[in-house]
Amino acid sequence: MEKKKKTNRTGHFAGGRASNRVDRVDPYGFERSEDFDFDSYEELMSEYLVVLTRRSIKWSKLLKSKKKVQKNVKLKRYVRKGIPNEHRALVWMAASGAQDQFEKNPGYYQMLLGAQHDPKLVETILTDLNRTFPDNILFSETSRPCLQKPLYNVLLAYGHHNSTVGYCQGMNFIAGYLLIVTKDEEKSFWLMDALLSRILPDYYSPAMLGLKMDQEVLGELVKIKTPQVWRTMIDHNVMWTLVVSRWFICLYIDVLPVETVLRIWDCLFYEGSKILFRVALTLINHNQTLIQQARSLPDVVQIFKQITQGPFVNDCHTFLQHIFTEPGSLSTSTLTKLRARCRSHIISEES
Amino acid sequence: MSRKKASKGKSTCSSPSTAGLMGKGTGKPARGSPGIVQMNGVVHPSRPSISSSNEFYDIAFKVMLVGDSGVGKTCLLVRFKDAAFLAGSFISTVGIDFRNKVLDIDGVKVKLQIWDTAGQERFRSVTHAYYRDAHALLLLYDVTNKSSFENIRAWLTEIHEYAQQDVVLMLLGNKADATHDRVVKREDGEKLAKEFGVPFMETSARTGLNVELAFTAVAKELKHRSVKDPSEKFKLQEYVNKEMRSSGCCRS
Repeated sequence: MEKKKKTNRTGHFAGGRASNRVDRVDPYGFERSEDFDFDSYEELMSEYLVVLTRRSIKWSKLLKSKKKVQKNVKLKRYVRKGIPNEHRALVWMAASGAQDQFEKNPGYYQMLLGAQHDPKLVETILTDLNRTFPDNILFSETSRPCLQKPLYNVLLAYGHHNSTVGYCQGMNFIAGYLLIVTKDEEKSFWLMDALLSRILPDYYSPAMLGLKMDQEVLGELVKIKTPQVWRTMIDHNVMWTLVVSRWFICLYIDVLPVETVLRIWDCLFYEGSKILFRVALTLINHNQTLIQQARSLPDVVQIFKQITQGPFVNDCHTFLQHIFTEPGSLSTSTLTKLRARCRSHIISEES
Repeated sequence: MSRKKASKGKSTCSSPSTAGLMGKGTGKPARGSPGIVQMNGVVHPSRPSISSSNEFYDIAFKVMLVGDSGVGKTCLLVRFKDAAFLAGSFISTVGIDFRNKVLDIDGVKVKLQIWDTAGQERFRSVTHAYYRDAHALLLLYDVTNKSSFENIRAWLTEIHEYAQQDVVLMLLGNKADATHDRVVKREDGEKLAKEFGVPFMETSARTGLNVELAFTAVAKELKHRSVKDPSEKFKLQEYVNKEMRSSGCCRS
């Protein structure tokens, strides 16, 4: 996949003075693309900064009064409204159980790094090292500090920690985001472990059964919630994997805008993988008329790319409100049942 | 919806030779046997293409890029599509994606819908479902990576299992510009290709060497098959050999 052309950092953005006020690099180190809409961004940020400030004050108060982050209704509400970036590592670690593992296993991460390495695993990881966020200044080989080495370490340690999974493409992006947010290798490792061993189904194992299962589950949910979209997919013979495999594998990285992804991840670490369906169903439901206009398979593919861009997803705060209302009810028991049914269906078809 | 279930559905593209990807209005009734004959008389004036792009075309084909992770599939595609090579600006492909490009082949507008796939082995169980509909496959290895070459046999087995019998197949040794890092000799590529009866050439997405040629050759072959003109015989490897020579490009 090709990244959008890099921003010309020396200048010349036609007109629009917002481009002079807004940084060419976002707060997470990503260079803004050439077609970045600085004016809309500035307008959006003028509102979102108010939200961020308000949330930041509330979070500081909440965390000051607590010795340990405890999961409760209030915290859940707070998480859904967004964790300030300065507290993300702390809350993600606590809510996902990564902190417990981290404390229970002192020295484990270093031990993994110190042990003999599987050369095949090393090679596979190295292939993707230069291909992880080349548009992020923190990952550029010339930057100091450069996150490529920590990225390599986290992936290598994880590959040895969970040899069934080893390394799967997509994990590089996840580890990359974790490093950007936590700025800490070991915490990134334990968060990776929380995601892969507890929060997500088996997306990354060689059979990718969890991925196939969730793609099929999404299809079933769309069939119930937006049957016309489901019909469109059948009519054009589009397999769900074609349009949504990256959504699941990359947990919306490089699919949705960075800030939106992080807001989704806040809920992912706190509430679990159900949130991934809420996001997918919201995108589909919100754009169902557009999807139904598709006249061919390439049309469908194009539209599914289109719906992950634009004002609806850029406004992360409103988008996050939508995902809890727009798709309607989605109970854990429904999801559990659907997953079980789809999993056994796939297993029986593959055997 | 599962992979298998979907494939049993409205399978308009069950054969690489059918007109599943043809533009609207080309549907002259098939004469005689099914398959390529359906494409007789496809040379109509321009008409709206099926994609959201504004390019017109007469016939369309689906081409897939396959090969190990990191051999340069996306780079090759971008070089062909946009004549660009942005060193260090690519991210690894997860899943599957496609781009269109319309070529003029002897006065016929041929649209190639080029599918780019993730190379890592575990993704194959997700991507091989798409081989079935492909009219052509470009199988790549990296001349600076021995194992990517050694895996070609496995790829061919996979292709034989999942692709159509008459799929147009071509083997490409990419990164041919990297003279210092080369570990797979050109002759080795040729030998392997000969063994499997597959056309072969070396390419470089970085310099553009033979990139256009690879896609053009495939487009010519597909167009030739579709119009089924018995007066002219088109031999893919012969064409490629001729063009490679005349291009006067470096052959390391």
